[in-house]
Amino acid sequence: MLISWSYRPRQSLMERIDPRARWVFSFSYLFSITLFWDARFLAAFFLLGIVWYALGGVPWREARRAWMLVSFLLFTMILVNTLLTGGGAGGVVPAGGHRVWPEGISLPWGGVWNFGLTWERVWFALCQLLRISGISAVFIVIPFTMDPKLYGVTFRGLGLPDRFAYVVELAFRFVPTLARDFMITFDAQRARGYEIERAGRNPLRQIARIAPLLVPVTMNAILTGEDVANAMDLRAFGQRPRTWLYELRYRRGDYGLLVFSLLLLLISLFLRWRGYGQFWIPPWIG
Amino acid sequence: MEKKSLWSFGTREVVYAAIGAALYAVVSYLTNFLQIPSAGNVSFRPGVVIPIFFGVAFGPLVGFISGFLGNILGDLLSGYGFWFWWDLGNGLMGLIPGLIAGSLAGFRDGKSILSAEFFAILGIVLGMGLASLSEMWVSGADMATVIGANFIPAAVTNAVNALILLPILMVAYDAVVARSGR
Repeated sequence: MLISWSYRPRQSLMERIDPRARWVFSFSYLFSITLFWDARFLAAFFLLGIVWYALGGVPWREARRAWMLVSFLLFTMILVNTLLTGGGAGGVVPAGGHRVWPEGISLPWGGVWNFGLTWERVWFALCQLLRISGISAVFIVIPFTMDPKLYGVTFRGLGLPDRFAYVVELAFRFVPTLARDFMITFDAQRARGYEIERAGRNPLRQIARIAPLLVPVTMNAILTGEDVANAMDLRAFGQRPRTWLYELRYRRGDYGLLVFSLLLLLISLFLRWRGYGQFWIPPWIG
Repeated sequence: MEKKSLWSFGTREVVYAAIGAALYAVVSYLTNFLQIPSAGNVSFRPGVVIPIFFGVAFGPLVGFISGFLGNILGDLLSGYGFWFWWDLGNGLMGLIPGLIAGSLAGFRDGKSILSAEFFAILGIVLGMGLASLSEMWVSGADMATVIGANFIPAAVTNAVNALILLPILMVAYDAVVARSGR
């Protein structure tokens, strides 16, 4: 199995936006949306997230796996924690409320299941759906539309010190190499008779069975890292401010997005400070 | 020889932080599908030992970046999006064991391994505790759900993984250090 980044040039509108401005918008969106539980605000944020996602021009067949994972997460969070057990809503939804089945649910084999689901919890589940889907739409699109070679210079441009920005750059470069090493080690161990499935059902033994894969890959990476560090030292890494191969320049539209992001955050903070945006239940539920 | 500060971040640390993050991302990517049933936002990750080990071996900053950046990269690869507080929690899981990096007698020594295990558990409890608590303002869950559906599944599975795999990696690294003289 090969692991590679999902980016490919798509000539999409999103790729024309400076990556720094895109990260600023994404963080502003994240912190703003988490201030609200009011479905009316969340619906507006959700729409904004969908528009932002659409700018990326990512076809469904490419993003399907990511959305499947998010759907599983939402299923657990909403169906199990909020609708079935009710605990996932306990922090926001007031106690009591209007039951969906006030008389309980009649069971086919007799008796009644006194299921305590309320319309308030159903409404809160909708709010969770809007919030988590909105956040996912804004962040899922990043790996599909951002060139991996730009992450280092982007975070440098956002104010991260050179050394830390270079860590980001290096980590992105190491991922495909280490993934390849991992698969080579897996094949080599299997050729020696290693079978991860042989550990049986004992979870502790299953974890220990991962060691023959994890140890050689980690130790080999550390030894390689020593050589990389020596090579970087020989080239006087870190002695002067670093120059980057790619240069980013803000354009007029990028400044517009930065201003919009700042306003989004400030207005959201102001609205919360004035008491707007708390969990709201439509009158027809009551 | 001059002893390096626990918080120094030279060329070696830059490289090992990047390797730790990339390795954690790859292993997380390969195991992210192992979601724990009914636990919100939690998957079974043997790879958590990587930021912990990199913290113990190379210091708290390397451990923090391995966990924080590695979790971001793993989520980007898997398509999970971005969960800032879980990234921060993973970073803490690497940072806290890194606090003993300068005081270990060796990597094979029993007392050092026990200290590393203790700090690993402390890091897991604090890191997963912070990340789980964030679900209260991100997902609106109450404390009981946060503890039952987030903290306990994440902390227990991570602790079991770390307790089993950390000594194995430490002993293996001791052999690498002894053989290479590094």
